Amino acid sequence: MFSKIECMLSKNPSLSEVLIPYIHWKVPAGFPSPANDYLEERIDLNKVFIKHPLSTFIIECEGDSMVDAFIPPRSKLLIDRSLTAKSGDVVLAILNGEFTVKYLKKNDFKCWLLPANKKYQPIEVKPEMEFQVWGVVIYVMTNPNETKCLL
Amino acid sequence: MFQPKLHGQAVVVLSNNDGCVIARSNEAKDLGIVMGTPAHMIQDIFLKNKVHVFSSNYTLYGDLSDRVMKTLASFVPKLELYSIDEAFLDMSELVYTDLHVLGSTIRNTVVHNTGIPVSVGIAPTKTLAKMANRYAKKKFKETGVFYAANQRLIDEMLEFTMVEDVWGIGSQYALLLQKNGFKTAMDVTKIPADWMRTNMSVVGLRMWNELRGVPSMEWEYEPKAKKNICTSRSFGKMTNNYAVLQEAVSNYAAICALKLRNQKSVCKAINIFIATNPHKTELKQYQHSITIECEVATNLTGEIIAYALKGLEIIFREPDYLYMKCGVMVLGLTPESVGQINMFDTKDRKKETNVMLAMDKLNRMMGKDTVRMAVQRYEKRYKLRAEHLSQKYTTNINEILKVKI
Repeated sequence: MFSKIECMLSKNPSLSEVLIPYIHWKVPAGFPSPANDYLEERIDLNKVFIKHPLSTFIIECEGDSMVDAFIPPRSKLLIDRSLTAKSGDVVLAILNGEFTVKYLKKNDFKCWLLPANKKYQPIEVKPEMEFQVWGVVIYVMTNPNETKCLL
Repeated sequence: MFQPKLHGQAVVVLSNNDGCVIARSNEAKDLGIVMGTPAHMIQDIFLKNKVHVFSSNYTLYGDLSDRVMKTLASFVPKLELYSIDEAFLDMSELVYTDLHVLGSTIRNTVVHNTGIPVSVGIAPTKTLAKMANRYAKKKFKETGVFYAANQRLIDEMLEFTMVEDVWGIGSQYALLLQKNGFKTAMDVTKIPADWMRTNMSVVGLRMWNELRGVPSMEWEYEPKAKKNICTSRSFGKMTNNYAVLQEAVSNYAAICALKLRNQKSVCKAINIFIATNPHKTELKQYQHSITIECEVATNLTGEIIAYALKGLEIIFREPDYLYMKCGVMVLGLTPESVGQINMFDTKDRKKETNVMLAMDKLNRMMGKDTVRMAVQRYEKRYKLRAEHLSQKYTTNINEILKVKI
């Protein structure tokens, strides 16, 4: 029906090149497609999941301390540095020079990093420790066929 | 940013081919490591002090720089990229904004969002803004911002800055000024215009005006098309192998051809040069270059490689010479839209151009050099040494940060 379908690379300044399909429409003599008026761009995962490309990074995690938060081992996480971490957020943090991913819990007096697995203990962030929130975890990507059942 | 354990440690970054020190952390500076020192000369200092040494990772720097620059661009209507880590922001239209607050906001936003700390210098001219940036780094480390909002603050900054640290005054001119008793930037502003014009020419006069608060420099909001393009690199290992030189020359020629197509130019001549290592005086020395005129102005990869290889054939001397460096330069650039016709042209230029367009598109989609000329090969035997490369955390999915949680 369509004479040619081409993919065009856009000059979108996001994390990676984005494919935006468009229809190279040569009007044939004869039947116009009823779908013409309804054509939309195909779903672009970059746009769906990444609101702030300039401050979004991707990491991979190993370990099972966050399985109850639906973060299995070897999943990939999207981290956004531009968001301000609130109590209850899952964050990528640096504690005494080491990266970790945990729930952030804080009130006016104290701050904790909480795991999502009964096997692990909460960590209280004490004033003498070096602590910094690197970014907020916004999405978890994992292949269920690769993840072994942990129950 | 990706290696928090390095915080507070001595860290250095080496130039191409792991040659010289081009960046140092404050702790490395405190050890007395000087900018530009060849790495092989201070290996003992590195070992004794457990200095962390890294090769330049331009892929990573380029991406982080891109993030910083685009973040900066969200604050002002127009900006000019000056280098990989510097940009001029045009604030002239922001008449209702508190620029000091804006400066702080910029700094805080950039470091928060991209992880890269920046200093901000705000002033009436580019030269003064660069000076203000330096002043902020030296005197206002915690806030990282200096806004030279009035003449008193500008004067404070001019008194603080020595002539050799002014943007636009090189070491020769600095000596000249010092000899004549001008030590600070403030002194320079008091020099009569005639003296400036006579001793430091039009360029000096422009800098002088800038220091006195008169904007005299143009803004280049978009990079100009280059007038000539050169790709040259030193080799990781010196070589007298003709095949290795051919591989290098082909690849550099291909890079030039791609740059030409990207700026929609064609070239009228190609220059290639090869050189031995001038520092190794015990070895035989040879530097030679040749310029070949193109029959028809071109930006086709195959054609430019062919000319370049022909040139190499003519200037290559064997067998006693160990070559350290070679380069390809394309000259006489003209817009490709201006047609070039030659009665004896045997090529189907339209078809060849389409082949190039298809190749460039594929390479953009699937990675640099995915499709290349056979003579460019795969091994990259001429490639630079980079033994201490950090991971490409943001551009290569196999090199992302792995965190144990």
